[in-house]
Amino acid sequence: MGEIVKVRGLQKKFGKFKALHEVSFSINAGEVVGFIGPNGSGKSTTIRTLLGIIHRDAGEATIFGKDVWKDSLEIHKRISYVPGDVALWGSLTGGEIIDLFMKLHGGGDKNKRDYLIQRFELDPKKKAKGYSKGNRQKVGLIAALSVDSDLYIFDEPTSGLDPLMEAVFQDEVEKIKLSGKAILLSSHILSEVERLADKVVIIRQGKVVETGTLDELRHLTRSTVTMVTEGDAARMASVNGVHDFKQSGNQATFSADNEFINDILSEAAKLGVKKFESVPPTLEDLFMRHYEV
Amino acid sequence: MQEKFARSRVLFVQYLKRDWKKIIVWVLGLGLFSAAFVPAFEEIGMGQGLQGMYETLQNPAMISMVGPTPIENAADYTLGAMYAHEMLLFCGLFAMILSALHVVSHTRKEEDLGLTELVRSFQVGRQANSLAVMAEAVMINLLLALVIGGMMSSYGVDTISVEGSFLFGASIGMAGIMGAAIALAMAQIMPTSAGATGSSLGIIGLLYIVRAGTDVSNVDFSMINPMGWTYLTYPFTENNGVPLIWAVVFSAIVVTVAFALEGGRDMGAGYLPEREGRESATKSLLSVPGLFAKLNKGVMISWMIAFVIMGAAYGSIYGDMQTFLESNEIMSQMFAISGVSIEEAFTGTIMMVMIGLVSILPIAIVNKLFSEETRLHLSQLYATKVTRAQLYWTSVVMAVVAGIVGILLAASGLGGTAVSALGDGSPLNMGDFIAAGYNFLPSVLFFTALGALALGWAPRLGKAVYVYLGYSFVLNYFGGILDLPEWFSKTAIQSWIPRMPVDPFDAATFMTMTAISIALMVIGYIGYRKRDMVEGA
Repeated sequence: MGEIVKVRGLQKKFGKFKALHEVSFSINAGEVVGFIGPNGSGKSTTIRTLLGIIHRDAGEATIFGKDVWKDSLEIHKRISYVPGDVALWGSLTGGEIIDLFMKLHGGGDKNKRDYLIQRFELDPKKKAKGYSKGNRQKVGLIAALSVDSDLYIFDEPTSGLDPLMEAVFQDEVEKIKLSGKAILLSSHILSEVERLADKVVIIRQGKVVETGTLDELRHLTRSTVTMVTEGDAARMASVNGVHDFKQSGNQATFSADNEFINDILSEAAKLGVKKFESVPPTLEDLFMRHYEV
Repeated sequence: MQEKFARSRVLFVQYLKRDWKKIIVWVLGLGLFSAAFVPAFEEIGMGQGLQGMYETLQNPAMISMVGPTPIENAADYTLGAMYAHEMLLFCGLFAMILSALHVVSHTRKEEDLGLTELVRSFQVGRQANSLAVMAEAVMINLLLALVIGGMMSSYGVDTISVEGSFLFGASIGMAGIMGAAIALAMAQIMPTSAGATGSSLGIIGLLYIVRAGTDVSNVDFSMINPMGWTYLTYPFTENNGVPLIWAVVFSAIVVTVAFALEGGRDMGAGYLPEREGRESATKSLLSVPGLFAKLNKGVMISWMIAFVIMGAAYGSIYGDMQTFLESNEIMSQMFAISGVSIEEAFTGTIMMVMIGLVSILPIAIVNKLFSEETRLHLSQLYATKVTRAQLYWTSVVMAVVAGIVGILLAASGLGGTAVSALGDGSPLNMGDFIAAGYNFLPSVLFFTALGALALGWAPRLGKAVYVYLGYSFVLNYFGGILDLPEWFSKTAIQSWIPRMPVDPFDAATFMTMTAISIALMVIGYIGYRKRDMVEGA
């Protein structure tokens, strides 16, 4: 199985605007790849290129070893997709639309469909015109999840779902992952990506600026340390690897470079530590740093 | 009251800024069209032309198409009378349709697209938008009336007086305002913008057909018909301003009702209730053709019904044609000489008109594929087994089939009532009518092909095909009357086709045009397959 999606040096221009400069990443079977980036960075454009909706200008993009534009039909037989904006035909009901998507996909599991409709608490008899944004998204999700594919592409799938439904979604994605499928998850909800993704690709202004597992990425950032000492913690401010030092009384908070953790601990110990809390960087910290750079 | 219409002025100015290009094209286009034919009519009017035209237009069939004239005998038929007779109803109809479409697009359609929701969240009165749109429509039509009046009087032709010219312009302007009012009301009643457009055009169509009947039988009944008020002003002859007063009152009432209706409803809803739906899809929906059939069902059924009614309405007039001929020396002679019966001559003309209208349906079906694309309805489908070929060809084939069925319905409607009205001695039978209709099939295919070509290469030009259709329609309609140079009339595709039953069937033209249409459809497919899908307006 191995490499399911391979993207190398992807480029796309819309008129004068260069949407994608140099996008490269890959997705393996049984892997969830989180695709994150600021608004307008090129996430949806990349996904649309992979789906053969638009045509790339340069670079390589293959799924299952086949070219995404030329062999799109072959590829599509084995993928499921939920777009960022689920727009439905107002006069059809949710149930009809799900059935339609499943049929056009070449068939799906009816039991799974019924199970998911129940789990997501969707009313399939209601006309799509009356659905809220979240319910529209559910229709798209259920249709995609009811079909057995080898690659699932989700473009901001839970942006309108309530926390309960989001948990349901994460659960279903876990199940898919465990059965060895590949998943591309583009999302702004960093906690979700953090929980589900094995690997993260960060894109900014059409270029991939960071790829790697969360652990790898964490090495590149800082932990947030909160400590309470007996002595005056002010001295910690000048220690190597300490940034954004803030102090109120005996409590000090700062960001610590992971490479200097030993030095920091030694210095702190000299002061007499009453409390030492180190929180690893969240994806949000990672993300935010990329925007400031 | 104040609160409901707050910020109308801001919206009004905003609309003017947004639409100024459209307004210029509309006012100048329709204005020129309505007023500029004066020199051409002067040409026709030379010699015995006026009298000949008078006699021709006494044919009940012609009255049903262009309306009546108050002139009692040919000698009094002036240029002004002829101009108003032939042009006014038609131009008024155009103005009505344009205004109706404009109002729906700025009210209901925006609501459907979610734009209104955003605007309403600002400090804008709930009904400020409707007031602004209506004010804009009134302003445009006033402008139109002035442009027409000014242009016509500038010719300085004897019987085209200044008073008459401005009455002519005002009649057309009022027609537009009535159309806008009707559309505003329908936008409140119907649950979707497609429904609002369809019902507004349906009402206008109905008014036209009813008026066609009453104009022939008893003109007094036409005075009750709103559409009647546009041409019963009889500019250049009776110069009667009273019908316009009725038109103003009518519009004011309809607009007030529309505002009242709007005040009572939720945004996004109409007054007609929504029906409950099914939990699972029926088998018929589960395929690309099934989906497209469902999406286009409303449009197709409405137009098909319209085609039958239209055909039947014109067919019923055939009975009166012989009577007319018997009472009119000049016309009997004319037809006796040409060797063609009056029924045959009329069939050729009316069939071309009807088939022009039939062409609208296939264009709409092809354009629908693009509107589905921009509305993001097809996004999730792109990742399935559904190919672009399936999407494209299902739409195109469906359009062609709709065209074929449409011709059948229009021709049968016409033939059915015509044959029964003519009785035993009829020079035409059902077969002749159907043949005359299908003779025009290549032109329907051609317009479908143009739509398909646009869909594949320049999808945003899909609407422009309607413009070309309108242009060819006008050319054909007025071609005979205005005696245009041949190369010019040939720019309209239908003029390449002989008019059965008067002219014989031309297999070569039929085949060539069909072949060209098919070729264009294939070229359109190549473009559709290659281009990026447009997501989002």
